[in-house]
Amino acid sequence: MSSEPEALVSKIQVFEPHKASLPAMGPYIREFWRRRRFAFELARFTDKAEHLNSPLGSVWLVLNPLLLALIYFMLVTIIGGRGSAGSSRFDVLAHILVGLFTWYFAQNCMTFGGASVTAGGKLILNQAFPRALLPLSSLIGAFQKFMPTLPVYLIIYLVGGALDSKSRLPGLNWHLLWVPVMVALVAISGFGLALLFATMNVYFRDTSKLMTYGARMWLYLSPVLWMPDMIHGWHRILIWANPLGPILAITNTVWIKGENPSWTLWLGATGWAFGLLFIGGYFFVSRERDFAVRI
Amino acid sequence: MTLRYASNAEMPEGLAVRIEELSLRYKINVESKMTLKNAIMRAGRGEKRRVRTIEAVKNLSLDIPHGTVMGVVGANGAGKSTLMRAIAGILPPTEGRIIVNGKVSTLLALGVGFNGTLSGRDNIILGGLAAGLEREELEERFDDIASFADLPNGFIDMPMRTYSAGMYGRLAFSVAVNMTPDILLIDEALSTGDAAFKEKSFEKMRQLCLEARTIIIVSHALGTLNELCDKALWMHQGNALAFGDATKVTEKYLEFLNVGKVPSALEDF
Repeated sequence: MSSEPEALVSKIQVFEPHKASLPAMGPYIREFWRRRRFAFELARFTDKAEHLNSPLGSVWLVLNPLLLALIYFMLVTIIGGRGSAGSSRFDVLAHILVGLFTWYFAQNCMTFGGASVTAGGKLILNQAFPRALLPLSSLIGAFQKFMPTLPVYLIIYLVGGALDSKSRLPGLNWHLLWVPVMVALVAISGFGLALLFATMNVYFRDTSKLMTYGARMWLYLSPVLWMPDMIHGWHRILIWANPLGPILAITNTVWIKGENPSWTLWLGATGWAFGLLFIGGYFFVSRERDFAVRI
Repeated sequence: MTLRYASNAEMPEGLAVRIEELSLRYKINVESKMTLKNAIMRAGRGEKRRVRTIEAVKNLSLDIPHGTVMGVVGANGAGKSTLMRAIAGILPPTEGRIIVNGKVSTLLALGVGFNGTLSGRDNIILGGLAAGLEREELEERFDDIASFADLPNGFIDMPMRTYSAGMYGRLAFSVAVNMTPDILLIDEALSTGDAAFKEKSFEKMRQLCLEARTIIIVSHALGTLNELCDKALWMHQGNALAFGDATKVTEKYLEFLNVGKVPSALEDF
């Protein structure tokens, strides 16, 4: 990028009325990209501020889903009883664990993203910048919280699989090369959700409160506590109608079954990810000029 | 953000800001809380949302040349702050348009320090990055900002919630003026500093004027405005009542207030 047009860009600005439509997207995305550093620093500083309050901060990030997974595991094996006979108990735990880690990445995007705009009140009132940087920073924060869980999971997955003789986990295999693509799809979905809930939260301040229940319900409807293969026929709509359904099914296929996910699953996951991004993006960007009066 | 980079916007050479028939209206919620629960209950009762439309600025046209120091006066609720936010591009116009030529730096009701748990240093960096500055640029300017703000020992690395109002104001002002803005918007922020800092602020602003930068100040301190500004705008309930020579406008404003030149109105803050 040459510096000259950029200098011109920041030189003359025209502010004009708008209806509930998008601003010129070219300049918007350029400005968004130019100031991406802000989103990274905001995520870093927010993280820092949180850690000031809790010395065990980063440990909890891994410990929390781990403990939850144990609780869910006990629930599932007690309720399921012999229903899950045949498959190793550890495989069930491994499935719940990877599902929860993935789920929490998406849920953190929703929770942090949902609060990002309302929490940035003063900044929004006093500074003009592409507001989508705030949910972006939530995505970055959620991603940074998600990353340490991957190696932890990998260790549990490999060690447990080796120790449990009944385990049918595939262990290290080539299909795991899909993991970066899977993470990218969750991240895109998460950004879409963050944009969506951030906007909702500006208009309805109790969104974040409702979201706690909504998210829990959503988790139970997702193939995290149950295997995607457990449902058949029209019940499988639970997977397809769920924005995170296909990607969680892919997660199960790759990690637990060690197979190549079907192209229909990929199509579903990609479709939902970009669908969420576009819907959330449109919703957010078309209304963000309204935020300053509503904060 | 309503940036539309105008290749078609016509802007005379010497102008910093051109405001064309600008009107700003917004709706405020009269209800206690905007929640989904309330919205649903209201819909159930068949009620409409109770809102009040505020006409903050009505049909204002104004040209501000480069190098002008313009004061904005008016009673509370005159639309001064809204106008400033519109010039900064934070609030989109309802009608008309604003053309701004140059980099705007805002000191609107203390912009930095939006996160009280972070230190002053972190807040400066975040605010600067949001304003579109580069990280390296900020690091370079950091010393200038810190030394200008001249906070008591070690406060720059303390959480901003521990700051006094004065320290807060000093830092905010220091950030705003050290961003080398072409256009500096100051909204009621001079009032927090002590006498020494105030003098330093004036000095800095005079220097910015000499560099042909444009400054717009909202203040109730008419004495300060007379001293600093060459032009002034008097707003009342969204209308521009007078624009012109600073001393004349403030005089008219004082007359309107019907207080005459009593010391209390001229005395700073």
